[in-house]
Amino acid sequence: MPSKRNRRHFLKATGVGLLGGLAGCTRGGDSSGSGGSDGGSGSGDGSDGGSGTSSEGSGDDLAIPLSEYEDADIEWRQFEGSQINIGAVQHPWVSAIKPAVPVFEELTGIDVVWNILPEQQFRTKRQTDVSTGAGQFDVFYMDQVVNQFREEGWLQPLDPYFEDSSLYDEAWYKPDDLFESSKWQAHGGGYSDTWTGLPITVEVQTQFYRTDLYEKHDLEVAETLEEFRQNAQTIHENESDVVGTVGRGQKGYGMNIYILNTFLREFGSSLWTEFPTDSGLDTDGVINAAEWYVGLLQDYGPEGASTQTWSDVLSTMQEGRAGHIVSDANLFWPGLTGSDSSVADTIGIAKVPKPADGQFSPNAFNWQISTSKNARNSEQAFLFMLWATSQPTNTWMHVDNGAAFSVRQSVWENDEFRSRVGENFAEVTLESLQEAAPDPFDRKYPQWGQRYSEELQRAIAGQKSAEEAMTQAASIAEDIYS
Amino acid sequence: MSTPTQTESTSQPTSARLRELWNDYLPYWFMGPMVLVMIMITFFPGAYDLYLALIEEPTLNVFAAEFAGLDNFETAFTRGGALHSFVVTITVVVSALLLESVLGFALAAFVAGVESSRAKSFYRVLFILPMAVAPVSMATIGRIMLNSEIGIIPYVINAATPFAAPAFLSDIPLLTVILLDTWNWTPFMFIIFYAGLSSVPDTLLEAARVDGAPLWRRYVHVIIPYMKPVVFVATLIRLIDLFRTFGVVYGLTQGGPGTATQLVSINIYEQMFINNQITVAAAIAIVYLVLVVALCNVIIAKVGFEGVWD
Repeated sequence: MPSKRNRRHFLKATGVGLLGGLAGCTRGGDSSGSGGSDGGSGSGDGSDGGSGTSSEGSGDDLAIPLSEYEDADIEWRQFEGSQINIGAVQHPWVSAIKPAVPVFEELTGIDVVWNILPEQQFRTKRQTDVSTGAGQFDVFYMDQVVNQFREEGWLQPLDPYFEDSSLYDEAWYKPDDLFESSKWQAHGGGYSDTWTGLPITVEVQTQFYRTDLYEKHDLEVAETLEEFRQNAQTIHENESDVVGTVGRGQKGYGMNIYILNTFLREFGSSLWTEFPTDSGLDTDGVINAAEWYVGLLQDYGPEGASTQTWSDVLSTMQEGRAGHIVSDANLFWPGLTGSDSSVADTIGIAKVPKPADGQFSPNAFNWQISTSKNARNSEQAFLFMLWATSQPTNTWMHVDNGAAFSVRQSVWENDEFRSRVGENFAEVTLESLQEAAPDPFDRKYPQWGQRYSEELQRAIAGQKSAEEAMTQAASIAEDIYS
Repeated sequence: MSTPTQTESTSQPTSARLRELWNDYLPYWFMGPMVLVMIMITFFPGAYDLYLALIEEPTLNVFAAEFAGLDNFETAFTRGGALHSFVVTITVVVSALLLESVLGFALAAFVAGVESSRAKSFYRVLFILPMAVAPVSMATIGRIMLNSEIGIIPYVINAATPFAAPAFLSDIPLLTVILLDTWNWTPFMFIIFYAGLSSVPDTLLEAARVDGAPLWRRYVHVIIPYMKPVVFVATLIRLIDLFRTFGVVYGLTQGGPGTATQLVSINIYEQMFINNQITVAAAIAIVYLVLVVALCNVIIAKVGFEGVWD
């Protein structure tokens, strides 16, 4: 009999353990189950073990002193004893903030449960959660589908919470410290009058170049597109085994058009010159930008540039097989200057070049966290979002926990942070973020963006001219909205 | 002798009736659970897919959805590029199937002809190896090996031949996809053909040899006709499997450049997970299912299973 009971206990315990594991749920600051920390978080894993699970830790063990938050005129403990579920992708922000989560739990008495999934799996689960009204996630990662979700009525606007004096203290939160472009993207990229979420990370496009080749060929860092093309040509023609430049050519709304959208704005155009009837993709500015980008990759890029993804771009540069990355996420910096790179000591960073008479306007992308109308604990979720994006939390993540994707200007101006990430990287990023122009993700952006990127890829592959490709892309985009 | 209680008098006929019911429909009771499972895993998803293909947009209450008629099918074949992806799929299926069958048979014949048993084992393992690689890993390895700047294949072509290596994934993407699939799946055909070749009776081969038939005649008139059921089954399985190809092509080209290698499976995936057009994806999936099932039935009806079951 005892053996039977033991076996039953064992099976029960194993079953519960397996179910817990399969669900991928972790609590509080427990670091198990968090995703990789590649990309921009630098040494994001380094101090993961800052605290224990749930709200058991005493005030002395906390990563950030509670006094940083107690000055705020916010009733932090009004939902004491409740619990929030966070749906997140495996992302450096998660590993950077997790050690600080016990601070939130101690401050508010709200228990935090993480549901961390690979990106594609998360997207499917998120869509099911909000569209079926299940409301399992109180807080979740939000991206290019923000306007689709908003127009379906799934997202909870945050403005009512901002207007609630027990939940929000403007003087303490300092919303003006958030970059304008991040706030704009959190308002549905100009399509929403209300906050659709709060931005958590931002990346902006910058130019990367090889300082050793610049010295060798006596080149100056390019400020204009023409100068850049000349620099790329010099390296391409004078170096064996090194191409002039690399850039994303692969289709996908986060691939080649993510880069081209920088240049089309610099050429004076924009997406949807008149929404939803005129996509603007067949305007002179877009065609000129596409011709320039396609020509650059065809003339001075690698063979097969049309299939290069961001990881190909990064690895080609890391291998020392390219003179430049014409424009890509500043978050490449740790990868290019870290131990994985064979040219770590000879990488320079600069602002993206622009046409001689154009406007500097680098593309940027923000991840944000949102809550849904069906979420059971939206107000608690708002408190978490506020805490997670506040100045004390953000500063700690970036100064003490290896992150490098802050949406707050004060962090990029922080001397301690600048000395950790490098003065030049911080300054170029800050100047770029101040002028950044992110993509406005209208509700059908994934659909027409994919087709627009396919057309651009055809042009890069030499299957059609840039003008033909963009004219076709314009017609497809407008047709999708007709 | 005791008087039967009231309970006994009513329970006996009930249990007898139940036993009768059980006995009369015994086969159905046994089949029931399996039929239920089959309905759950085949009929229900199929019916739900058809439902999705015929509505405007999915709703929480399935009865509240608006009927769209054939609009989703029209969208699939106009904006959705379904026709193009069907052409790409058929090109890949036919080419890869031919290549894999011919190469698989050639390798099987080669190994069958090897005398030394140690060498035979070595070749068997060597030829089966690529099949053990997961499609996504195959695609990732392929992307690196074919990369124009850092890949080994372009490097070898440039260094060891007078020709310049093409940009595999942008200049000849469809051919590259077919060749990579051939590399991945020829081992499957090899295994089955090798087993088939081993089962050809020595007496038949001996008789042909005594009659003076040269090697190619022995293959054409004795071995291949004898192996017809094996060839048929192998080809049919591979044919169905080729229609399901996704991972290796998506990992390699994501269906590009443009839509040059966009198989139907990739098109369905993109409509569903990138464009968020569930109803259009469902419409393409329905058409695809009907076509593949019809094609397989035609092949089975024309070629037949005779000999396969013997």
